[in-house]
Amino acid sequence: MTTGIVYHPAFLTHEQHPLHPERRERLAYTDDQLTEEGLWEDPRILRLHPRPAAREELARVHDERYLDFLEQSSTTGGVIDLDTLIPPGLFAQARLAAGGALVAGESVMAGTVRNAFAMVRPPGHHAGTCSGAGFCYVNNIAVMVQALKGRGCEKILILDWDAHHGNGTQEIFYGDPDVLFTSIHQSPFYPGTGDATEIGAGKGTGYTINMPVPAGSSDEVYQYLLAEVIAPVAAEFNPDFIAVSAGQDNHFTDPLTGLALTAGGYASMMAFAVELADRLCAGRLAAVLEGGYSVEGGLPYTTIGIIAALAGMDLSGIRDPSSYEPLFRRAFNPHALDHVQETVGLLRRVHGSFWRCLS
Amino acid sequence: MLFTGIDIGGTNTDIAIVDGDVLTRKVPNDAGLRGALDSIDVRGRLAVSTSQPLNRLIAAPPASVYAITIPGPGLPSPGSVAGMVNHRGDILEEIDPAAIRTALAEHAAEYLAICGKFSVRNPTLEEQVRAIALSFYPPERIATSHGLARLGFPARRVTTEVNARILEIVAAMARTISGYAQDFLFFKGDAGLASAGAVLRDPSVLFNSSPAAVALGARYLTGCSGCLVVDIGGTTTDLVPLREGAPCMQDVRIDGNTAFIRSVQAESIPFGGDSVIEAHLCPRREGNPMAFGGMCPTLTDALNRCGASIGDAARSAHLDPDRAAQAIRAYVSRIAAGVRASGAKTVVGAGFLADHLIPEIGREAGVRCIIPDHAACMNAIGVAVSRVSLSLDVHVDTGRRRVIVNGEPAPLRQEMDDDELIAWCKEEVRQRALGMGAPEEDVAEVSLAYFSAYDVVRSGRRNERIADLQVEIEPGITVDAK
Repeated sequence: MTTGIVYHPAFLTHEQHPLHPERRERLAYTDDQLTEEGLWEDPRILRLHPRPAAREELARVHDERYLDFLEQSSTTGGVIDLDTLIPPGLFAQARLAAGGALVAGESVMAGTVRNAFAMVRPPGHHAGTCSGAGFCYVNNIAVMVQALKGRGCEKILILDWDAHHGNGTQEIFYGDPDVLFTSIHQSPFYPGTGDATEIGAGKGTGYTINMPVPAGSSDEVYQYLLAEVIAPVAAEFNPDFIAVSAGQDNHFTDPLTGLALTAGGYASMMAFAVELADRLCAGRLAAVLEGGYSVEGGLPYTTIGIIAALAGMDLSGIRDPSSYEPLFRRAFNPHALDHVQETVGLLRRVHGSFWRCLS
Repeated sequence: MLFTGIDIGGTNTDIAIVDGDVLTRKVPNDAGLRGALDSIDVRGRLAVSTSQPLNRLIAAPPASVYAITIPGPGLPSPGSVAGMVNHRGDILEEIDPAAIRTALAEHAAEYLAICGKFSVRNPTLEEQVRAIALSFYPPERIATSHGLARLGFPARRVTTEVNARILEIVAAMARTISGYAQDFLFFKGDAGLASAGAVLRDPSVLFNSSPAAVALGARYLTGCSGCLVVDIGGTTTDLVPLREGAPCMQDVRIDGNTAFIRSVQAESIPFGGDSVIEAHLCPRREGNPMAFGGMCPTLTDALNRCGASIGDAARSAHLDPDRAAQAIRAYVSRIAAGVRASGAKTVVGAGFLADHLIPEIGREAGVRCIIPDHAACMNAIGVAVSRVSLSLDVHVDTGRRRVIVNGEPAPLRQEMDDDELIAWCKEEVRQRALGMGAPEEDVAEVSLAYFSAYDVVRSGRRNERIADLQVEIEPGITVDAK
């Protein structure tokens, strides 16, 4: 079985304005790296083509009036906030990105591919039911998850490891006991949400698990949280599908964040998620790109790590250039793990009554 | 203008001289390339198709090729050594010369391929390894990958290994031929011509050029733009579709791996005039037909037993006439099935036995047949009348003040906007083709096959630009021969 990669040159065309961090240049070097690695010719990789998401598919996640606003603003241009401008033509690009996530999920469910990575732009996890924010307009992963629920997946685990809290995704599924939203994110940081005490509401109480981590958190922090929290909770939840909001802005070279994950760390995280999916849901996993702004120094190496792990390739060469070592030293926080161990203690207290494994 | 085309086939070397009239000649391969060249008065433009010896070399049991790779971070690669070039062409990790000397000493091989990731953006590390390797290998047994120009490290590695194996023989052929015509051109697998200098940078372009030659020859001799060329050779019969006046191109795979080699789409059926007849027609060659001094009866001998007069027909008399007729029926039936499967309405026959076999194949397949004059040497005619084809892969990085043209760095002399850059590249490819002797009319049309450009933004400022483009002059028939 192969790994599907949803990618299209049209994903490069979206630009709020030419100097914005979420700009065309963002995936250009990564595209070069994947091409140079020969991934598009590799028999373990199947390139999947996105389709524009239908309006009704978006409407399962977003309010109709918000979609009207996006569509109308896209004709002449508009503004959501200072970070999130609406350039002309945005709605079509956002529909294609959401459609890319849909194709990833559909292809996994159809058995066309073993797992998939939707390498889409613009990102989506800050977009809520009625709002866009943080470079996001349509919540791609939420659109995919809602569609999967209509295709026989009763329970879906979302693992959001973007450096920023996935506040939009959390809001959309906050009361939904069929979607377990888990997030590891830098805190305190934009968007300011994602405290460990935010645990869901109503029937969804206990189905939101936030793992805030301090600046400088590196590979061992993520591995610790995956082993101590994600793995046992996932086993207890027993999902039919694992959806990963695979932000790449936790890399130690990212200019907008303060974390210290390495390219090898990304590969290990994805290998962990793949192994989890194999164990719990017949390998059904789809990852969707979110943030990641170290366009030249980080993304080419983190993306190849993620794809190699999804495809079960040899990960022994996944690393950052050795000349980056001083940058890593500057970003790395040796006390982050101690801090996170305390956070896990808090998590056990707030979630212990919902999850046997955390009690 | 006089054009001479030479095609070195499996059994014979065909020569065609086109000068308004067409003159053709066959010379047995035993005479060697020199024998063929000595048999004619080389004048005008000389073009040579050499794919048969190269095909044999590539199809032979694997030669011992040692591949040194410089993969850097990412997917690992066998034969890897330290060193790293990134996507911008920056060297982020240096090679370790001592480790490379040790690796070269420990891996004895006949040929050496050197392939680094992103060497097409900066060939320095590959060149450094090559300089060290010159103490271990003769220069013509070493191939590097940056001249292949395109991104795709695994395919470059496969192609570089092919180049390592054939560079020496191609260089020797080039030296021999240039003794007869200094400015001769090689005929490539894409049905176009290139100078020896260009071919020696990537000799894999010569791979499988025979189907391209016969396709072009069929187009020239018949004017037919949509047909199936059936080329009956000694060892194989090739079916080559021609659509809209041109053969169809396909990527070549070597041992199941993608390579950066393009060749004309053709179905090669393993039966030809020299195929041996035992109880049945066999898919192998054991020397010449008996009619040409061979020891085993062949399809050619079968034709003689059924009324033809090819070579010394009396020598074919040992073959049982029923078995001869059965062998011909089996051959015709096999080829007709291939013709039917292609969906072609018209067949153009090529090869020494075309007159004897093509009409029957056409009848059985239910298609129209054309057998033009000089069908026996159609390949060589295609070689003679073809034109220079050339593509340039250009990467421009204004931040690094770097232009890379087909893997070779050149200084960025002036800032150019996108339109100016495209115009510059088109002019560059035109000038290179003219430098190979192409007439002005052949290079009038340069197509832009690919273009991508974006701004590099740092600290909120847009002050650099990166562009990738490919321009090409496509193969075809030279205007001077039309």
